Amino acid sequence: MPEPIVQIKDVKKRFGRVEALRGVSLDVNEGEVVVIVGPSGSGKSTLLRCINRLEEYEEGTIIVDGMTLDNTSNINAIRREVGIVFQSFNLFAHLTALQNLMLAQRIVRKRSREEAEKIAQALLAKVGIPEKAKAHPAQLSGGQQQRVAIARALAMNPKIMLFDEPTSALDPEMIKEVLDVMTSLAKEGMTMLVVSHEMGFARAAAQRVIFMDEGLIIEQATPHDFFENPKEERTRLFLSKILHL
Amino acid sequence: MLDSTLLDFVMEEHKKNAPGRELSFVVGGEVSIRQDPWWWLVVAVAAIIVLLVMLLPVPFREIVLFARDGILVTMVVTVASYFLILIVGLLGGLGRISKNKLIFGLASLYVEVVRGIPLLVQLIGWYFASPVIIQKLGLWLNLQALIEYRPNPIITAIMAITVCYGAYMSEIVRSGIQSVPKGQMEAARSLGMSHFQAMRHVVLPQAFRVILPPMGNEFIALLKDSSLVSVVAVADLTRRGREFMSAHFNPIETWFMVALLYLIMTIVAARVVSYIEKRSKYERY
Repeated sequence: MPEPIVQIKDVKKRFGRVEALRGVSLDVNEGEVVVIVGPSGSGKSTLLRCINRLEEYEEGTIIVDGMTLDNTSNINAIRREVGIVFQSFNLFAHLTALQNLMLAQRIVRKRSREEAEKIAQALLAKVGIPEKAKAHPAQLSGGQQQRVAIARALAMNPKIMLFDEPTSALDPEMIKEVLDVMTSLAKEGMTMLVVSHEMGFARAAAQRVIFMDEGLIIEQATPHDFFENPKEERTRLFLSKILHL
Repeated sequence: MLDSTLLDFVMEEHKKNAPGRELSFVVGGEVSIRQDPWWWLVVAVAAIIVLLVMLLPVPFREIVLFARDGILVTMVVTVASYFLILIVGLLGGLGRISKNKLIFGLASLYVEVVRGIPLLVQLIGWYFASPVIIQKLGLWLNLQALIEYRPNPIITAIMAITVCYGAYMSEIVRSGIQSVPKGQMEAARSLGMSHFQAMRHVVLPQAFRVILPPMGNEFIALLKDSSLVSVVAVADLTRRGREFMSAHFNPIETWFMVALLYLIMTIVAARVVSYIEKRSKYERY
């Protein structure tokens, strides 16, 4: 059994007097897809953001691909290996879709213009919008923007992809196009941690579903077990709310 | 001269940020009187100046000939100061958002103190006080070069203006950087860019577009405020006008022509600023 690619040990994080994470431990194996659900304020986004150190944590250890995150000296090295997709896309507004994909390749991965452009074009084709290469973010729909954002993260060849509520800011008719890209990515064997309440995606692509509440992992199980017979009362209560039962 | 400096600056910015992309992404960015009717004002003021010079060479042609080196000095002081102000403003603006308490404190102190003192007082202070301080320092250090220091009026004036306007520009740059959504920096950092790289390639290019209008206003205000340097022995347009008036005793004609000459410079600058703004617009979220 190889070592898990993400090892989180007893991580604690507070914002002022609010304890966002109260001791979270989680291992994720290479190629695994983990979906994290939970009410707002449960710490799921914070946990995700700790994995590439967009948030710092006070206690505990996170090891990503053999690199320990506890000090900040190797932070850019870790971020090269971990892609993140945000709820609000955060595409670079002054650049075209193609340039969005090329910028970090050029200055972080030090690729040549030709190579970066080739990779960018291929990824735009992969997420289904090769014709939008020259468009600026404001000229794209939300779904298209999020697909460009996924492609931008993939352009860095990350070993792990984090998704922070990638479909929450989208109009309903655009959710599927983004989930389709994520599902095909999961099928290719990408290690993924996904904060999302898209149960269809969890059932189709995830190996594990985790329920967080009040800064703790309450329950984890396979998608089938998680949705069909959750063990914890809090999980049942949460599921009854989001499934509108 | 001042037109091409500003334009070059913007073109350079674009080349760096968006290689291979045309500067214009918005229809209506073309310069033409039809697109920007304010060019008619430029034409009208220019016509008045030319007519006055041709039809009434005494005194108007004489005034223009007498003051032309002053026009050049006004332009040099304005453009040179503006270039330095951009550098000070960038550093000051970055200092005002720095997480380092010392840098933030120094930048804030600079902005607050300098903004509270009139430009005229600063100009006179620099001109008369700085040589004394430098000479005293020379005596103390026993350095002959400093003891014999004599101020160059133009350079002293440019420095005083830069220190003063740099404070205002720092605040403009700070507001521009803070207008860029936080997610832009986060996204850049999450792709492995350093803080500096993210600033340079993601945040500042977007901030620059936001602050173009106030930056243009500063340039025009500076062009007008440059007339204050006439009190510290700089032979700019205003000072040359005063000299002409003293020699010929015709205040009405002199100050009418000086005002027209300032006006033609400021309204041309205003048109150029508005042109650059139109050209660099892009659709935001």
